[in-house]
Formats: sequence, C-alpha cells, structure tokens
Amino acid sequence: MDIRSRALENGRPTLSVRDLTVDFPKRSGSFRAVDGVSLDVWPGEIVGVIGESGSGKTMTALSTLRMLPKRAVVSGSIELGQRRILDLSPAEMRKLRGDRLSFIPQDAMRALNPTMRIGRQVGEPLVLHRNLSFKAAVSRAVDLLRAVHVREPERRVEDYPHGFSGGMQQRAMIAMGLALEPELIIADEPTTALDVTVQAQVLKLLKEIRDREKTSILFITHDLGVVSELCDWVYVMYRGKVVEQGSVERIFTEPREDYTKMLLASTPTLFPREAS
Amino acid sequence: MAAAAGFDFRRWRLVLLGGLLVGIVLFAAIFAPWVAPYSPFDLDVTQMLQGPSAAHWLGTDELGRDVLSRAIYAARISMQVALLAVSVGLVGGTLIGMTAAYFGGLVEQALMRAMDLLFSFPAILLAVVLMASLGTSVLNAMIAIGIVFIPGFSRLARASTQAVLRQQYIEAARSIGMSDARIIFREILPNIMAPLMVEAAVAFAYAVLLESALSFLGLGAQPPDPSWGNMLSTGRGFMAQAPWLSIVPGMAMFICVLGFNLLGDGLRDVTDPHMRE
Amino acid sequence: MTDTVIQVAGVTKSFVRGVNAVDDVTLSVARGETLGIVGESGSGKSTLLRMILRLIRPSAGTITLDGRDVWNAHDRDLKAVRRQMQAVFQDPASSFNPRQSIGTILAAPLEVHGIGDRASRAKLIGETLERVGLPAATVSRFPHQLSGGQRQRVAIARAVIMRPAVVLADEPTSALDVSVQAQVLKLFREIKDELGLTSVFVSHNLAVIREVSDRVAVMRHGRLVEIGTAERVFNSPESDYTRALIDAVPDPFRRFRAPVELESGS
Repeated sequence: MDIRSRALENGRPTLSVRDLTVDFPKRSGSFRAVDGVSLDVWPGEIVGVIGESGSGKTMTALSTLRMLPKRAVVSGSIELGQRRILDLSPAEMRKLRGDRLSFIPQDAMRALNPTMRIGRQVGEPLVLHRNLSFKAAVSRAVDLLRAVHVREPERRVEDYPHGFSGGMQQRAMIAMGLALEPELIIADEPTTALDVTVQAQVLKLLKEIRDREKTSILFITHDLGVVSELCDWVYVMYRGKVVEQGSVERIFTEPREDYTKMLLASTPTLFPREAS
Repeated sequence: MAAAAGFDFRRWRLVLLGGLLVGIVLFAAIFAPWVAPYSPFDLDVTQMLQGPSAAHWLGTDELGRDVLSRAIYAARISMQVALLAVSVGLVGGTLIGMTAAYFGGLVEQALMRAMDLLFSFPAILLAVVLMASLGTSVLNAMIAIGIVFIPGFSRLARASTQAVLRQQYIEAARSIGMSDARIIFREILPNIMAPLMVEAAVAFAYAVLLESALSFLGLGAQPPDPSWGNMLSTGRGFMAQAPWLSIVPGMAMFICVLGFNLLGDGLRDVTDPHMRE
Repeated sequence: MTDTVIQVAGVTKSFVRGVNAVDDVTLSVARGETLGIVGESGSGKSTLLRMILRLIRPSAGTITLDGRDVWNAHDRDLKAVRRQMQAVFQDPASSFNPRQSIGTILAAPLEVHGIGDRASRAKLIGETLERVGLPAATVSRFPHQLSGGQRQRVAIARAVIMRPAVVLADEPTSALDVSVQAQVLKLFREIKDELGLTSVFVSHNLAVIREVSDRVAVMRHGRLVEIGTAERVFNSPESDYTRALIDAVPDPFRRFRAPVELESGS
C-alpha cells in the first residue's frame, strides 16, 4: 500500500490546494499562469510537480509560499494543516514561513547572504522564530549541518558561503529549511544547478529526511529522472493546468495523457529499450 | 511591444521634459538670427543698463546691447562647444575603452593608467592647463573640454565592452573567423551605445557649465562674442544696479543644464532593461 | 573509414593558479563520426572544445584539423581551418547579437569568407532556414522574438550555412525543455547525416551524449578518464568514475521500462 492510500485512511493532508488560479494583469487582458490547480501533499509524502517552462509549476509553489509578485491575482484556496494560507495577514505569513513551511530554491548561491557566516544563516530561523540567542542558534546549526552530512560542521559554520561548493551550499539551504522541523518543505528545482553525482547525494538526503522526520515535501522539477527516483506521487502540469496525476509507478508505466507520453518519449535515456 | 500597447507616457516623461528644454535651447541656437530681436553686437549708448521693458524684454547691458539677443546668440556658442567637446570625448573615450577591454593585458594596463592620470586632475584645472598650452580660443576650449571627458567615457566604454565580451555571440563571431575590427565595430559597438548616449547627454550639460566657467575666466569665447560665461562675468560688476545681467545668463544655463540632465536620466530609465516589463 | 579529421595530441591548458584545466589530453575524431565529451563542472570539457575551436590557446600540445595545425595556421590555411570548423553554443539567450536580425546573423559567416553575392547569399540563407525547419520570414526577426528552440535552430543554421566539415557543439540543448531538446537533437542528427559532418558534442548530460554519440570520452578534473564506443563506455565502463557517473544519473527508465515508441538512438 503506498503512502497515499495509507494516509487516506487516517487524517488529512499536510497541504491541500483547491482550484488555484493565478492571473497576471497585462495592458491588454491578463495572462493566466495557473488555471484551476488542485493538489494534495499527505504527511510524509514526497510529491513531484513536473512540467516544462510556462507550465505554472513554479507559480503554484510560490502561491503556497505567498511569494508571488504583488500584481498577481490569486484565487482558490490553499490549506496548510488548519491554516488557510490565502487569508493570512502578511505578519502571520511571515511567522509561518521558515517555521511550519520552508522553501529550498534552485540557486543556493544567490539565496545565501555572501557577507554572513554559514552558521549564523543556518541558525537564523531559530533566532527569528524561537527567540534563541545567536550563539545558541549557531551551536544548533552545527547539529543541523551534521544532519545533512556536512563534514566537520564545527569548523564549517565559521565559513562564508563562497567557501562552500554548490552541493554544500544546497545542503546548507536544506539544513536551514530543517531548522524548525517544518510540516512541509517546498523545493523548486533544488538540484538543477548541481552535477549529477552531487545531485544524487542531495536526493538521497531529501529521502532520508522524509524517512527520519516524516516531513512532507513538494518538489518542483522539469526532470522526469529526478521525479522517478524521489517522488511517491506525481502531478504533471501543462499550460497552467494539472493534466495528469498518479503514483510514480503508474505515471511512468501507464501514462494516460498524450502530453505525459510525449514527455516520456522525449526524455533521453541511458537505458533504451531495444527496438524489436 | 510598447508600440502595440500604445505610448507609455510615464516611462518617457523625463525624456519628453528634458527634450522640451533642450529643444528650446537648440532652437534658439540654430535660429538665433531669426529668433533674436536685435543683433548681439549693436551698441546703443542711450540705452545703457536699462531694466526689462517692452523694447528690451530682458533689459540691456553696460554698452546698451540687448541682453535677450546676446543670451540667444550665446546659446549658439555653448551648443557648438558642447557638441564638439562631447564628440571628442565620446569618440576618443569609446575607442580607448573598447581597445583596452578587447585586447586586455599590457594594452589595457597602459591605456587605463593613462586615463587614471588624466582623471586625477581637477577638470577645470586640466582645461585651464590645456588652454594655456593651446592658446585661448573657442576651438581650443572645445578640444580642452573634450579631453577632460575622455577618461569618463573610456571607463564606461571599457566596462560595457567587458560585459559584452562575456556574451556567447562574441565567441560565435570569433569562431566564424570574424576580424577583430569587425567584431569591435559590428558586434560590440552597437551593444554599448545605449549607456554611452546616456553619458553623452549628462556630459553635454557638464560641457555647457565648463565652457561657461572657462569664458567666465576669460579663457573661452572672447568679447565681443557673447557667451553665458562672459555675460555672467560682466554682470558680476553690475550686481547691484543691473541684476538681470547675471540672472539672464544664469537662468539660460540652468534651463540648458537641467534639460540635458533630465534627458540623460530619462534615457537611462528607458534603455535600462530592468525597467522594462 | 579510419580517416582522422581532428587530432588532439598532449593538449594541456594551465590557468594562473597552477591547476590544469585540461591536462595532457590526446584523442582523435574520425571522419563522419560524432565524439561525445561528457563530464561534470570543472572537468575541462568546454575548455578543450574552445581550444579546438581556436578560442582559447593551449599551454602545450597540438591540435590539427585535416592535417593543418589549428594554432599555427596562417593566412590561407587559417581561413580554411575557420571555414571547415563551425560551432553551436549553449546559451540561446546570449549566442546572438541582440541588435542584429537573423538575416544579418546568418549572412555574417558568408560575408567574412567572401562567399557569393548578395542575391546568392539571400537564397542560401532562405534554403538553410527551411532546412532547419524555420519559416522564411525568420530572416527579418530578431533573436528576442524567437523561442529558445527556434534560436538553437538558427544556431545550427549559422553553423552549417558554409557547409563546414566539422561542427563543434557545447551543451547546445542544456537550456531547453525536454520536448524541445528532443526536436533539436533530432534535427542535429539529421543534418549531421545529410552533410556527412564530423562532430564533437560536449554535454554534462550522459543520456543526451549516449543518444548523439558514436564514441564517448569521459573527462574529470581536466583529464581523459576513458574513451571508447558509446556502447562500450555505457554498457561496460572501464573506470570506476564512469560507473559512478552512470549510477548517479536519475534516469526514469532505470526503474521503469522505457516506452516502446521511444527511439533507441543508435
């Protein structure tokens, strides 16, 4: 029995998005980036949202974080636990972000402040949300960095971001995201900028975190390979709509929609099926 | 894009306002013989130091010449000087900056250190020194001011060229076997013109001020030729009896400098890709 | 068929800090074959390609194209080298001068090499655009008016318009969506076969390399780790690094069988 069917028996989803629509007003008419998307992430589940550029996958993630540009017009509902995200005040949203809900962006280098030591940055959520002193936060950061397999964390907390490799920076971002044991991690193409060997390590780490902390993860990507290795449930998006959803096995073995089939057929592979 | 969706007034308002002011000055400069009510040289000893009146809208000077007419003719000199000076600075600076960035290494070191040296002189002092060695004349003033501008333009051209050199179309151009000269003039130059034009508009304003300063010091336009600087210099002696002698050239300079600065700022906003949607 | 077109012998590139970006690489490319060079960031694969393309000067070693020393060619030989060897770059956003129309961009190589007159160039540009699947009206468009995939088609058109013998490609599809990537790779293979091109294709993506290459070179830290036919390198890699690289690739068809209609690429 997969996680989803198990979860369906007891309880409610961690994240529930219903009829989400995002419009960007333009001088002539408006552009609909997300068109009636509904999706769920259950506790301890890794959900992949896959799509090409312009599919609306990133806009869906940003809506959940309430990080869309100001001019975007959002409708529908987004619930995280019992909280209706779209109805929260900016102050309430700030409290939620980084606490119950954390975000791992694609470009860790740009997300990290180049003038602040890694330890302080990783520990910062604890200072902001748990009123820890910076000293206590940095010592907690050591544990967090150890948990994401950064070697010699006691020494590395003193480093600045530019002293970290791309993979290490992404680990630091993940450590920061884990600081407050959030219910949901939203990751937007977090491994796209990394080399494959490093990517494999980061994907392994995310799975490990899910198994250990029972954190739910919403994973946005364009890479079918990453989805196949990491996710339990998959939503396929195209032009702002979810065209197909299903368990990862089902999507890859019996795709139903033409768009999904086309994506599968377009993906280059190291394991071609011998033409008979 | 902008054309299809109608004219975006907000984006262009600074350019329009600056353009209007600059347009007024340019119009006066180009059509001075038709616009000016009197000749700038006609003396009228019966009308010395007269305040504004119906006959002389902005009064007369210590020799009875019409101040409005002199201010209008002075715009001619200012515009000529500024145009040639900015051209010298723009062409010289751009060539030096592009050459430095494109060839790099020792060439770049030598050129840019020379620019640093030139830049470290106070502008007015540099102009005065150049004028002293070239002799005082309007033409020399233009060249002197132009040389003052070269370092600024060269730094901007170098930085812009370096940014363009990082683009892959430069590698593509090299890989099809394009010559250095063709790469510099066909591939790089058109892509660094926008920031240079913004700088040129601002430099134009500065050139007007510098020319006035030189004329004020007696190093630019020579009397009886009118220039805002030497008018101001004359007016200084009559500050109490005839304040309009200082106010008129001062206001003319103000309008002209403001116009070019607004135009420069406006162009910067319009050409800056971050300002586009 | 063992007619060597590109010969790279003992090529090294050292940058200032004493680390070699490319370290003593020797390899050759035979006429009509596609050599794929695969590696992670810092492997030196792009630097090697740029040295062959005569964009970065090697610190040591020689590179020859049809027997002509690429870096010591002069005048007529150099012109011939330039004409024989064309490139397709990665970034569809920055590989074209934003102020030139596609027509101007495609005419440039012809003008530089003095090929044809105005009319015959226009005709050739039209034919080439048609061949890469773009409408004739594309000549008057500007790069920013085209999609990423269309721009890479123009990049291919620019590379083949002079009928070169060799096309070097640096991550030409890395910035594209998979569906567009598939079309561009297909076009690349078709044109390569049609014109009998010899090519070198650099990518970090092992599956893409497998799909386009006859032979594959694996690079790491500036060194050549192994080289061999695509079949051999991917099915029975000799080096542990290649093995680790293959294992790290998140490939959907490792766990799930590839759909039947998928081309095997060989």
